[in-house]
Amino acid sequence: MKRAIPTLRRSIQALSFIFLLYLIIKTAFPLELKIPVDLYLRLDPFIGIITILTKKEVILRMLPAFGVLLLVFIFGNFFCGWFCPMGSTIDFFDRILFREKKWSKNFSDQSLRRLRYGVFIFSLATGLMAFQVMYLLDPISLITRTLIISFYPPAIYIFNHLLPQVQSFLPKNPFIMSSIPMPLFKVNLLIFVFFIIILALGVVRKRFWCRYLCPLGTLFSIFSRFRVLKRFVTEDCTHCQNCVKGCPVGAIPEEAPESYRHPDCIACFKCLECPPEAVSFHLGRPKWKTVNGVDLSRRYVLGSLSFGIVSALVIKANPLQSESGLKNNRLIRPPGSLPEEKFVSLCTGCGECLKVCPNNALQSTLLEAGLAGLYTPRLVPRIGYCEEFCNFCGRICPTEAIRNLSIEEKRLIQIGVAHIDKTRCIAWDKDKICLVCNEQCSYHAIVGDEKKRPIIKEEKCTGCGICENKCPVDGESAIIVYASGVQKKIKPEPSNNNQG
Amino acid sequence: MDKFSKKKVTRRQFMKGTAVMATLPLFSKSLPFYGSLAHAAEESDLVIAKNGTPSQLLQAAMAPLGGMGRFVKKGQRVVIKANIAWARTPEQACTNNPDLFSALIKMCYGAGAKRVAVWDHTCDNYQFCFSRSGLKETAQKAGADIFSGHGRNVYKQIEVPKGKKLKTAEVLRDILESDVFVNFPIPKHHFATELTLGLKNLIGIVWDMEQLHKIDLHQCIADINTVRKPDLVVVDAIRILTTNGPKGPGKTEDIGEVIASTDIVAADAYAATFFKQPKTGIPFKAEEVKFVKNAYDLGLGEINLSKVRVKKVSAA
Repeated sequence: MKRAIPTLRRSIQALSFIFLLYLIIKTAFPLELKIPVDLYLRLDPFIGIITILTKKEVILRMLPAFGVLLLVFIFGNFFCGWFCPMGSTIDFFDRILFREKKWSKNFSDQSLRRLRYGVFIFSLATGLMAFQVMYLLDPISLITRTLIISFYPPAIYIFNHLLPQVQSFLPKNPFIMSSIPMPLFKVNLLIFVFFIIILALGVVRKRFWCRYLCPLGTLFSIFSRFRVLKRFVTEDCTHCQNCVKGCPVGAIPEEAPESYRHPDCIACFKCLECPPEAVSFHLGRPKWKTVNGVDLSRRYVLGSLSFGIVSALVIKANPLQSESGLKNNRLIRPPGSLPEEKFVSLCTGCGECLKVCPNNALQSTLLEAGLAGLYTPRLVPRIGYCEEFCNFCGRICPTEAIRNLSIEEKRLIQIGVAHIDKTRCIAWDKDKICLVCNEQCSYHAIVGDEKKRPIIKEEKCTGCGICENKCPVDGESAIIVYASGVQKKIKPEPSNNNQG
Repeated sequence: MDKFSKKKVTRRQFMKGTAVMATLPLFSKSLPFYGSLAHAAEESDLVIAKNGTPSQLLQAAMAPLGGMGRFVKKGQRVVIKANIAWARTPEQACTNNPDLFSALIKMCYGAGAKRVAVWDHTCDNYQFCFSRSGLKETAQKAGADIFSGHGRNVYKQIEVPKGKKLKTAEVLRDILESDVFVNFPIPKHHFATELTLGLKNLIGIVWDMEQLHKIDLHQCIADINTVRKPDLVVVDAIRILTTNGPKGPGKTEDIGEVIASTDIVAADAYAATFFKQPKTGIPFKAEEVKFVKNAYDLGLGEINLSKVRVKKVSAA
């Protein structure tokens, strides 16, 4: 039984990661999966708590996260050791890359151990200021974002290159299918580098990220002080240091292996591989006093808190963020998005909407929306347009930063307005018969005049961007969608679908 | 010796015989060597079928042309270029009629087709087009493969030697390589080109559809039709879109006709008469639709319906 545990844990970790991959792959067109595709994000109590702080109300979709938090009272932060897909990835790379690393003895990590508490308090403080960038460090959001933005496009690239080869082996089907259009995300390299840095930190310590940085792990640690399942060591302990070396989060102190820093323990049960079999886990009060993992002084806590508040104020005062700075008229948010300030404080930057968008229209921002809006979605019409009968981004947004609208409601949301550059339009400037924008427009917002030149009816335009996307003019389109500031509702058009 | 001399052919007899043999074919009609022997004579080039369900209309329209067996032989691969360009429902008449579509696929299989594929390079996202129009389900139920040209790998760069303005184009490879090519348009109003008909339907086999507008849309439509002449044109005029085309939704009109033809220009010339000019209210003449005229000038078919063998049939 005890021997099977490491294998069992590794299998569950692998399955958990594969399940996340499966959910991400299923975050696509028909979207008919019974399980919510953003399941992992909804199970994340860090996002749950911060969204309560920033939105000042409970988001129903995030309720499962608090179920996970309740389980922490029993098992401690089992999620980190068994289910966290980020932890699984880090464990995997620690295992294959940094296996032979020698045990570095003279390395006191007491100061580093406080770091993640500082990060956590910082994010609580900024959350109270209704402003949040710490989602960037949330492991679930981070791994989802990395997989979608950095690894999904290369996967499609490989698929497209293998597709013809595989299809040519199939004698039954003489027809060759279209390849999948390559998804394009501008920030993919940056996110990739960030991810690689996190993995590379394993050189210093195993699970460096989980020990010293992860805010979700910190939250679990805080609650797992009250855990019921505890570690017991009998008198048979020979101080062989086996468990000390084996512990992936360094929760067992060298000098006293009988005790452990129980908030840090991720319940991986690796220390059960004990030569004298002195270790066991069960309910009750351990005989050995547990060691407090971290010395959080009042000064440190208050320092992090005020640092968080001051940084939030400074970033808010940045022109990119302040009211005037928000009038970046090329920053078009997905339909149904909350008003900009709320949107930025709720969006976790998980990238689910980027993946689900059927036209690759949604892109991650870098600094277009200011520091607080890092990795939030924006519509870039030249890359893709907002599909008329699609409301997927609202349906999968875990924090409801994009509201879940019905298709009828979504079709009436004006996210921007198109404008024609008459000096570049080939119909206005060169008298060509074009009207591509008119024929593509789903809302009859572009009409042709008597010379077949396009004219925009602003009251009907939703800013979906199909005109900008399909405009045949090279380079920048001759018809450009500008954000309408606040998303408005347009008047529904009398239905003329039928005869009459 | 006698035995042999009796059977000897004289020079005169030989001359006579060869003369007869040589002239005989001149008097008879040229012998049809292929499958059309099995069918009724091809009485006409353009058949208009009225009154009936979509599948009855198709049956009725195909019979005078010589049946589907004239076009599709056993074991051949058939490609249908349908119009599934928009994410619209069948009632809005922006995409093909599903019943007619299903009947057409089944008829191809009935004639012995090995495999039928349906292609379109959609304008809206292909997944939404296929599901909202109901045509993906229809095609798969009828046993055909339905493909969208959203990936560049299914196109082939070709020269357009007969094209006046369009010199090169990237065209769906299957359209070029298939044994039988069926053009299956739905006539609609169109803001830019007045109407969209069978000739215009072929824009959906090109990769850079939008780029054609920059050259000269009307001429490009005619030019792209020189690439591969469809073996058969089936015009789906059961319900047509008369305003707000090509994407709609707009006013529709139930015509209830299916037009089958071997001549794409003639089919378009006929289909153009369904529509009224927006300003005057007079029905279009074929010459007034510029791309039809351009196609006629390129010798793609006959624009004057009085020079074509037209037959009107009633399905019911």
